[in-house]
Amino acid sequence: MFTVKIWGDRGSMPVPGPDTVIFGGNTSCLEIRCGKKLVIIDAGSGIRSLGDWIAKNDLKNGPIDADIFLTHTHWDHIMGFPMFTPIYIPGTTLRIHGPVNFEDETLEQIIGSQLSYRYWPVRQDELAAKIKYQSLKETQLDLGDGVIVKTKYLNHPVLCLGYRIEYEGKAMATAYDHEPFINLFPVDPKDPDYDPVIAEEGNKAATEENARVESFFHGADLLIHDTQYSAKEYRASKIGWGHSSFEHAINAANRAKVKHLLLFHHDPNRSDMELQELELFYKEKVKNKSSLKIDASREGQTFTLA
Amino acid sequence: MQENDYARKIKTYIVSMPSLPTTVAKVMEICNNPKTSPTDLDRVISLDPVLMGKVLKLINSAYYGFQNQVTSLVRAIIMLGVNTVKNLALNTAVLDKLSDKSGFRALNMEGFWRHSLCTGVVAKLIARKRGVDAQHLDEYFAAGLLHDIGKVPLNNILSNEYIRAMSLADRERIALYLAEKRTIDMDHAEAGSMIADAWHLDGPIADSIKYHHSLDVYEGPNEIIVMAVAAADYYANREGIGFSGCLYPEKLDPGIYEKLGISKTWLEEIDSLVSTEIEKASVFLNIK
Ligand SMILES: [Fe+2]
Ligand SMILES: [Fe+2]
Ligand SMILES: [Zn+2]
Ligand SMILES: [Zn+2]
Repeated sequence: MFTVKIWGDRGSMPVPGPDTVIFGGNTSCLEIRCGKKLVIIDAGSGIRSLGDWIAKNDLKNGPIDADIFLTHTHWDHIMGFPMFTPIYIPGTTLRIHGPVNFEDETLEQIIGSQLSYRYWPVRQDELAAKIKYQSLKETQLDLGDGVIVKTKYLNHPVLCLGYRIEYEGKAMATAYDHEPFINLFPVDPKDPDYDPVIAEEGNKAATEENARVESFFHGADLLIHDTQYSAKEYRASKIGWGHSSFEHAINAANRAKVKHLLLFHHDPNRSDMELQELELFYKEKVKNKSSLKIDASREGQTFTLA
Repeated sequence: MQENDYARKIKTYIVSMPSLPTTVAKVMEICNNPKTSPTDLDRVISLDPVLMGKVLKLINSAYYGFQNQVTSLVRAIIMLGVNTVKNLALNTAVLDKLSDKSGFRALNMEGFWRHSLCTGVVAKLIARKRGVDAQHLDEYFAAGLLHDIGKVPLNNILSNEYIRAMSLADRERIALYLAEKRTIDMDHAEAGSMIADAWHLDGPIADSIKYHHSLDVYEGPNEIIVMAVAAADYYANREGIGFSGCLYPEKLDPGIYEKLGISKTWLEEIDSLVSTEIEKASVFLNIK
């Protein structure tokens, strides 16, 4: 069994309400089951319901043991942690992995500082669970039982990792929060800062990095990709914010021969109606042109890969 | 030897010290500017090939897990962003100045470096605790790191006298800077201030170098940062992290802790934080 369940797919901030019933209002959290192994990606507000589900259904089969991989430490990806019930259950073992910027606090301090009296009534040291923190870089991990996790740095204002999980010949990958790498150096010869060598090196670096991201999720059975903006919105005012457009995600997934693309990290302002329209629009666009399957992520949905 | 001979020797030495403006000062200036463009950053680091080599080496080190993929600064900036590379360059540039092992005699280089690093780390923690905004945190770090820079010339060219100063401080249980004054007629704050002038450093870093042992006479605008450095220095000495040569530091006026808004208990609680930060910064030591 290899399943991926969406417990949260919203970007930036939870947005409950009548406009977010279909796609959901919780921020990112994925539950991945590989046989008996439980892997969670991100601890956004969606992790609260996941925690309750685990407490109700998994606990009776023995103590909870899970690996939590954080894509990065932006708040929308860690905010649900204090409400993750298993941390209060004695016997729980959690291994929390994630990237940390140089010079910043450790992962434990960043996540744990949410559990300090000024923010929360329970402190980190009072948790019943056994939690091990592990900072992560671009690497490959063997979780045992045939589960392999690969990581790749993405382009976001803080260090951010994409995850690729392989099990029983199938693969799922995440590429959020992420914006395509761009050449940050001037390419216009009229620009006073223009330098042809630098401009070329910049173009080459951006192109190569984007190719590396694509080869990272190449052939994935399920790719969960940042699509916070439309190409128009992105070009108008969101370059450098660390998020992708639908167009970029679709083209990249198509080039990488991904089988199923899940549009993810929905903009908090996007209503169900708008998302439905966008989903339909992009589905139409690729129809008959590519075998790529596209869906907008819906909270509560489960995908079975094997 | 005549007293003014000491002063002359020190002056000559300082003049011959590798100049700072092209590297550290410029990097600091660029790095403290939140509007720094990728081009500015690339330019200032490229000015100093040694610094550039080190930054690239660090980026390709085990810390990030890139396996020698990052072959140019331009690429590093595109991959890691301006902010990350800025911080790396700043830390590398400043630490580099302190880790020149040649000529360390009376004081042991490793111990002195640790003392400086600890003072920088704690000054930064104090700043963070005070809610200082991110772009100024490195100023606290750099000020702490460089506060005892005046010990470098004293120790390097007057090492016999410096050993005498250290044993005088030991015998009489006085602060090292007082013993320096009596033995060499110049303390490390004065020597440091000459370095600061030679390097055209001003502002909080220069003030911290000059006044960290004489807060009571300081009247400039950087009182908080100088106090933070003095408190961090005292912490490093009292906890015995590294070795500054000073076994009997002067107690700080309790008013200083009050003004900084930190308590003795807080200082006791940061121990583990300090050691992780020092371990992290030690990465820079190994990139020679
Ligand atoms: Fe000193
Ligand atoms: Fe000191
Ligand atoms: Zn996000
Ligand atoms: Zn983010």
